[in-house]
Amino acid sequence: MNFHSVEQENIEYMNRFLVFLEQRQGVVKQASIEAWKSVQELAARSGGAVISALLPGPADTSRLEELMGGDGVVCHADDEAFRLYTPEGYVHLVMERMAGEGCSALFFADSALARDLAPRLSVRLRASLLSGRLSLSAAGEVAGCTRHVYAASAEATFVPARPISITLLSSGSRASSAIPGGTITIKPHALCGASVDGFSQLAHRIVMRRDARDVAEAGIVVAGGRGMGSEKGFALLDELAELLGGAVGASRAAVDAGWRPHASQIGQTGKSVAPALYIACGISGAIQHLAGIGSAGMVVAINTDMHAPVFDVADYGIVGDVGQVLPRLNDAVREFLKKK
Amino acid sequence: MHLVVCICQVPDTASVIGFADGTIDRSRVNDVINPYDEYALEEALRQKERLVGSTVTVFTAGPPSSGDILRKALAMGADRAFLVSAEPRDPWQSALLLCRAILSVYPEQLPDLLFCGKQSTDFQSGQVPSMLAELLGIASFSGALSLEATSVGVRAEREIEGGSEFAELRYPVLISAEKGLNIPRKISIKGVMEGRKKPLEVVEGSIEEPPCVILRGIVPLERKKRCSFLTDAGELVELLRHELSLSRAGEH
Ligand SMILES: Cc1cc2nc3c(=O)[nH]c(=O)nc-3n(C[C@H](O)[C@H](O)[C@H](O)COP(=O)(O)OP(=O)(O)OC[C@H]3O[C@@H](n4cnc5c(N)ncnc54)[C@H](O)[C@@H]3O)c2cc1C
Repeated sequence: MNFHSVEQENIEYMNRFLVFLEQRQGVVKQASIEAWKSVQELAARSGGAVISALLPGPADTSRLEELMGGDGVVCHADDEAFRLYTPEGYVHLVMERMAGEGCSALFFADSALARDLAPRLSVRLRASLLSGRLSLSAAGEVAGCTRHVYAASAEATFVPARPISITLLSSGSRASSAIPGGTITIKPHALCGASVDGFSQLAHRIVMRRDARDVAEAGIVVAGGRGMGSEKGFALLDELAELLGGAVGASRAAVDAGWRPHASQIGQTGKSVAPALYIACGISGAIQHLAGIGSAGMVVAINTDMHAPVFDVADYGIVGDVGQVLPRLNDAVREFLKKK
Repeated sequence: MHLVVCICQVPDTASVIGFADGTIDRSRVNDVINPYDEYALEEALRQKERLVGSTVTVFTAGPPSSGDILRKALAMGADRAFLVSAEPRDPWQSALLLCRAILSVYPEQLPDLLFCGKQSTDFQSGQVPSMLAELLGIASFSGALSLEATSVGVRAEREIEGGSEFAELRYPVLISAEKGLNIPRKISIKGVMEGRKKPLEVVEGSIEEPPCVILRGIVPLERKKRCSFLTDAGELVELLRHELSLSRAGEH
């Protein structure tokens, strides 16, 4: 504990933040831009930290200033070698930036990449690794990170014990207000280290799905369970998701039946989602499923069984057969959108 | 081939977690193998069956009670098990304890393939696998949905937001297992009998380094809502006006 307070007094060291901007196929991810905004907001509150960003890989930066807002320098490591994520290459790059800028805090938007990379960095930097929503002290300073644990039956707050911290910001921790425009300077990042030695990567590629909407990132999720009856039954949900610009999720029962891909499973052994609206269709609401929707805003359930536990966590419920309710709902949504 | 699997115990996912005085009341929870670790173990057992003469060694860093999950792993088909007796307080301490134990069992050469579950179902940090790989100085691949071992390494696939990522990595490599990698086998009576005869060693895990992250507080979440029942889908759309307009706005 002694050691804890001594190192935290190093104020100069504290006020330099680095935000990692993730690109996928040359496009900077929206989640990363949201993370940048949250960090800007945080810096404004805690009194003028210097914020910079690191963008590895070739990417379109023409609209970046407009999208990001706030002030700071974006170091763009546009080398072809960083197009795809490799732990060794990215670790090298981030370490160089952290040391070069003397940063004490590194932020990522939570993603598959961040979850793979950040633990390695935390070992290298002897940093505290946190994830979730930023939790603020009464004075408005970051006190740590809060997230759901134990199948979303509890919420835990974790605080860093090291002078350097790495934070994976979940989508629930978006900036609350618009960030005022400022000046973003984009400058190329020249690698100063020697070679980026790969451990052992022999080959590497990514393949994107045509419908790339991910349940974990969607603002509206319509999910189906065993009650959808079959793979075909999900057509009604595909239609609804399409209308709403949302994504289709599934219970484990629906995934294990082979009706939907694993990537769409929501729950304890699937994804945690945080949409503004979650519509559960033919899902009973097992504790393992509810574990994944603890951060959802409005919850709607459609189920034939009025005693299904899913209604206990729903704001609105319709007791009925999805085969009858969903076509009517889809029509009503179409009507609504037409009028708008 | 030497195969290593790191597992941990978690409360059974169906058990209701109780709270007393701001901490978790574990008296009513039933501990099981972390579900993701079962995929890890199953995958190691499949590799072992494919390559005659391979061994599967299981490690866990935890309290003495986690000996139970090691017995289960042995009953599933692992060859030997090590209980690193300790109470790690954060993922980094867990990774450090596991790293030291693995290095002491394999002082000359690291095992070719190491497996972990993608994350534990209780705290869901998902940090131990990559931390352990970094501490061991080896390659890793997290959240593997499919895996194929070759003579020089592995080909693995994982899901990324909106797509899939494929990589080929040379041994030694640490893989963290995602649900969907396989369907874990059931434990047979014969397996249980054989498992009892297999070696389970307890080693003292000492750790001087303080944790990097501290759990400051934990509070139960009230999930219950009052559900308003409706009969008509049109009425629902009216009530969801706000959410529905948000969605389309986000699209553009
Ligand atoms: C270790 C572990 C991890 C797990 N992880 C997950 C997870 O990540 N995600 C997950 O979802 N589950 C998970 N489960 C499984 C979970 O316990 C449930 O079995 C599962 O969620 C049930 O899915 P379901 O609601 O689709 O099916 P069911 O429980 O069978 O429910 C079907 C529902 O549909 C309703 N219904 C039937 N027909 C119709 C109709 N025509 N119209 C309207 N409603 C209808 C029924 O009334 C019922 O409520 C896990 C289980 C374990 C043991």
